[in-house]
Formats: sequence, structure tokens, C-alpha cells
Amino acid sequence: MAPTRTAMTAIALALATPAFAASEESVLSTYADIAAANYEDSLITAQRLQSKITTLISAPSAEALTAARAAWLAARVPYQQTEVFRFGNAIVDDWEGKVNAWPLDEGLIDYVDASYGGPSDENELAALNVIANPTFALSGAQIDATRITPALLEETLQEADGVEANVATGYHAIEFLLWGQDLNGHGQGAGNRPWTDYAAGDACTNNNCDRRGEYLAAATELLISDLEYMAAAWGAEGEARQTLTADTQDGIASILTGMGSLSYGETAGERMRLGVMLNDPEEEHSCFADNTHNDHFYNGVGIQNVYLGSYIRVDGSVVTGPSLSDLVAETDAVLDTEMRTKLSAAVMALGQIKIAAEAGFAYDQMLERGNAAGEALIMGGVNGLIDQTRTIERLVSVLSAGEISIEGSDSLDDPDAVFH
Amino acid sequence: MKRICLIAVLVTLPFGTQAQPVAEAILKSHIFPRFEALATASSDLANKAQESCAPASKELRGAYHAAFDAWVSASHLRFGPTERQDRAFALAFWPDSRGATPRTLAALIADKDPVATSADAYGDVSIAARGFYALEFLLFDDTLKAAGDPAYHCALVQTVSSDISNNASAILVDWTSRYAGIFLAPGPEGRYRSEEEVLQELLKALSTGLQFTSEARLGRPLGTFDRPRPNRAEARRSERSARHVALSLSSLQDLAIRLAGLDTALAADFSAKFAIAQNGLTALNDPVFKTGASLQTRIKVEVVQQNVDSIRSVVTQELGPTLGVAAGFNSLDGD
Repeated sequence: MAPTRTAMTAIALALATPAFAASEESVLSTYADIAAANYEDSLITAQRLQSKITTLISAPSAEALTAARAAWLAARVPYQQTEVFRFGNAIVDDWEGKVNAWPLDEGLIDYVDASYGGPSDENELAALNVIANPTFALSGAQIDATRITPALLEETLQEADGVEANVATGYHAIEFLLWGQDLNGHGQGAGNRPWTDYAAGDACTNNNCDRRGEYLAAATELLISDLEYMAAAWGAEGEARQTLTADTQDGIASILTGMGSLSYGETAGERMRLGVMLNDPEEEHSCFADNTHNDHFYNGVGIQNVYLGSYIRVDGSVVTGPSLSDLVAETDAVLDTEMRTKLSAAVMALGQIKIAAEAGFAYDQMLERGNAAGEALIMGGVNGLIDQTRTIERLVSVLSAGEISIEGSDSLDDPDAVFH
Repeated sequence: MKRICLIAVLVTLPFGTQAQPVAEAILKSHIFPRFEALATASSDLANKAQESCAPASKELRGAYHAAFDAWVSASHLRFGPTERQDRAFALAFWPDSRGATPRTLAALIADKDPVATSADAYGDVSIAARGFYALEFLLFDDTLKAAGDPAYHCALVQTVSSDISNNASAILVDWTSRYAGIFLAPGPEGRYRSEEEVLQELLKALSTGLQFTSEARLGRPLGTFDRPRPNRAEARRSERSARHVALSLSSLQDLAIRLAGLDTALAADFSAKFAIAQNGLTALNDPVFKTGASLQTRIKVEVVQQNVDSIRSVVTQELGPTLGVAAGFNSLDGD
């Protein structure tokens, strides 16, 4: 390390007064506590969603559909913050596709507009429409879907024919069933599914209302059981927590891997920049509900949460403890400040997208060809995330230069480990 | 003219105490020649398209192949100038798992969208309808090569070719006039804080390039054992799939050996491992990986893929520590 850096660090150290005395173990413990609370909050808000959906199916009305949509939007707030636990924790990656897979060929599930097209080169099942078809052929076998159950969705339809776009479960399948396709192109407005898609008897629109309700109930039930599993995995004796804390060096590397991968490859790249470059309103993370601005924003907040070791729960209480920030500050307070500054800047840039979207400038509109203001807003978020990734890479070097040796960790040195 | 620019910049670069020999040599002998070749071949492509825009034109197709070769040979160098203004994305949008390229081109043609009459205006179009993979559809796809009004189709071919040339030229100019200085002069306020960060960028380019060739170029057409996906092979319509693997490996070998530098044992190991992969590919003799669908030949493609993966292991486990850096995050880190 260059002599100037050492001198700077010494000065910074003298000035720094960390909020907590941080040991690696205590940092990991805070991180796992935040994960447990964050997944539990995701579960609580999903249970609220389930109760609204039960009402929608048993006593369909416009009000019931609106209430279910509001509950879905609220449920996304904690869940999107948990995405920072992906990439670094294998147990989360193995599970995540069941709850948040995206993008989806929604024609697999229900009716779609004629402009959607039919089966494609990539996906022969893109327009299968399970809700309208109690039996169908899949990879040569005849499938009995007369009853739409959680098992049918999870074991038969999810990623059917090995195609990832066949998303049968999770938040986005439920989103499609609550909102329907967004047919407004680059214009304002989300999907506009009528509540009568769940109505009984002659009031039923678009046919098969009972099967549609059955699908929605089954998908919601699965979401709840999947979230129960993950909330428990981060509990005191849970598998995710035990794996994380089994080796402190690997544990710290897991935190950094999640922060960097979510910032860069996932949110900045796949979800945000690609949409701008393709000018495609289908390239919205929550394209049915028009909630994409919140998806990105809460991803940014989640990354900040784990670095600062502080999470605001859905009941307003705060989970906090010794943090990665404290740990970095003990070695290099200048770098800690740089990291905190960049995280704040990224959250602010993502917040500007949210502000504009909530004031009526829909994310669809921002993606339109030649829309310079929209492109500038989205690229502001992308650049903030890319910029913070560079500093996260610097954290890796600093932490490995001290007592923690991150070099040799699978999750950072072997792209495969991150990729799966 | 571009050649003159390049020499002028090289003379003024701060080759002094701050510049480091490995990065400097890689810049001069690996990076510059590749982007120079890309700019020259792309300019020739734009000119040929002006002379003859017919999809079957031998001259046009020849220029397309030459320029695409030049891109693939530079395609691992995804940092700095290629990432500004979406230049590399606009040259090469692939994989396209949602079929955006044919869909977007078909819409332009059906609407006779006037945006296709100007290469400058075309810079605002979806990247799915720009670059080499879009041009391939216009020249080789059974449907799109004959779609729409011939005059409009001709204009679209010319505009896509000119847009490629504009982008290739912008990357070269950006490297020579701006980024070379940044690359060779790391400092506390710079894009690169230290020499290690410059080496990390190069290591990441090497590692990501190998990963992309293994997982996308070889892995996509292979699909799974039960479900091979030959239609997902890269640039299969112009029969370039295996050629891209060979060209990328050749470039990545050059970079790996230069990064290994004075560690001759490591350089020799790279040479041997790259030769194994290239020989396996040659023996396969299958330009579009159709054989992935048959059992016996599928194994041979998988072996090439394993060879590439074993090179990447050497990069992360031996070359990284030799250089004192880890590969960091790359754009393939998401799902």
C-alpha cells in the first residue's frame, strides 16, 4: 500500500469514533438479524395480501381488487430490500426464482392480448394459458390441470420445458393476476384487469373466473410457504444464519458479494440499463403494476441497510447493530466515508426516479425512444449503482489487507459461485 | 487518418514513472490494434453498403464478416470507451432471449419508420435493431432479408452499417484521445486509484470474456442434455457460431499471455490450454453447433466448454494472485 494512504488512514483513524465496536462476528450477527426481520416483514405483508385476495375471490368487487393491489404494493417494500441477500448466500439463490422470477411470458398463465403473439422460438409454451386449459401436452406428456394447486404450479409449470420465462409462481405471477397486461405501451397507466375477471356466474369476464381465482389462491399460498421457509432459515438456529457464520471470512465476503452483484450486474445492468437501451416497456421489473420505480429504489435501500447495519421494519421499529461500516472505518475511515457517500447518492438518484414516477411520469414513458429526461433519470440511477460498485470492490481489498482475508473466497473469486 | 491520430497520442502519453510496463504494453499491442481494426473494417462495411445494399451482395457480406470478426476479437474489452453512450451494446446486442431484434426490425420495416434514413437519428433506436446482430437478420434471415419495401430495406441496411461505423470510430477516438491517458495514469482522483486497479480491469476483461464464451457462445446452443437448443447458437444465420469461439479465444489468449508477463511457466500453461480448446473446436468442424443435438458430438462441445472453464480457473486462481488482484464484479453477476 502506498505511503500516502497509510498516513491518511492514520489521521482518519484518530478522528473516527465508530458507533459500535465491531468484530467480524458481531457484523455477521447484525446482518443475519436484518435478514431475519426483513424476510419476516415480507411474510407479514404477504399474509396481509393473502387476506385481501381471499376476500377478492370469495366476494369479488372493484373495492376488493383495489385492496388486493394495494396489499401487493405494500408487500413489495420489504421484499425488494431483501434482494441484497441474494448472490452471496446460496440458500437464497436456490430459492429466489420461486418468489421473484422475472421476466415472464404471462401467456403461460392466462389470456393475453392478440399483440402478445403465440409460441416463440425460445418458448413453445409462451401462450399456453393454463387457466383456460384444464388439460394440455407438455414435453410429450399429457398434464391434468383440472385442479390448480400449489403443487401443479411449483412442480409442473414453473420453468416448464426448461424455459426461465415460464414463471408460474411468485410476486410477478400474482401481479399479473391482479393487474393484467399493461397495454398502454409507452403511455401512462398500468394493467387494467377488470374485477369481474373474478366474478361468479354470468358476471364473469374473460371466462374461467373460478380457475383464475384458484390459480391466484394457489400462487399466494405458495408465496407464503416460501417466505416462511426463508424467514425461518435466518432465525437463531436457521440454516442460512449457520452457513453465514460458519466462517467469518466467507461470511464477510458473502455480504460484499450480495452488495456488489445486486448493484452492478442485476439492478444497474439487467433491470435498468437494458430497458433504456431497448426502449421496451416490457423491460420493466413490475410491468403489470407499473411499480418498477419502487423495485429499483428499495433494492438501493436494501444495499444501504446491510452496509450501515440498520433496517426499518414495517412496524417502524429499527433493527441495528455493529456494521460493515464500523468495521471498514476502523481500518480506513476515508474509504468508509466514500462508501456511505456513494450509497446515499445512489439511493437519492433512485429516489429521483421514484419521485418523477409518483408525480405521473411513468417508468414506461421514461423508456421511450428519444425521451431524454427519462433516460437521464434512469441513467442517473445506473451510474450511482455502478459508482458504488467500484467502492465495494475497494472494500474487498481493504478488508482483505487487514485481519480478514477475502482472497480465496469462492463467492468473490469464482464467478461461477456468484452466477448460480 | 486514424493511424496518424493514434501515433500522435502514443507520443504524448505519459510514459514515465507512473505508467506501468504491463498495462502500457497491453494498451499498445492488444487494445489499440483491435479497436483500430474494428474502426477500419466497420468503415469499409459502411462504404460497401453504400455501393451495394442487396442482402446477397458478395462484397457486402464479405465486409460484414470482416467487420464482425474485428468486433468479436475486441469484444472482451468492455470497459471505458465501449461503455460510454451504450456503444458496445449498440454494436452487439446478444443474447436476445426475448427475440427483440427480429421484432424491432420488423416493426421499423412495417412502419417504414423514417428514423432509418439517418445514421445520426438511428442512434436513438433500440439497441435491438442496431449493430452486427441486427445486420445479420437483415442480410441472412429468410424472412427479414426480403421484408418490406426494397428501397426502405436498402436504406435500413445502409443506416445500420453507418451506425456501426460511427460507433466503432467513436470508441477508437475515445481510447486515443481520452481514455489511454486515464488508463496509464492511475492516481488518487482518477478512475483507477492505483496500478492494481488497472490490472484488475484487465483481469476482469479476461475472466469475463472466458465466462461469456463458455456460458453464452458454447452453453446456449448446448442447452441441457434433454433439451439441446441449436437455434440459440450465436449468429447461426451467417454460420459464424464456432468462428466466434475461435476468434474470442485467440484474443483472450493474447491478453492472458501478456498479463502473465515474466511468469513464463504461467504463460506456457496458458498457451497449452488455449491450444487444447482451439484444437477441440477445429476437430468438431461444426460452424453452428448443430451437433449439440446428437449425443456423441454433444460431448465434444462440452469438452471444449470444460477446456475454456479450466483456463478461467487458472486466471482466477493463479494469474489473479500473481498480479495481486481479484477479478471483482462483472456484468454477468446478475441472473
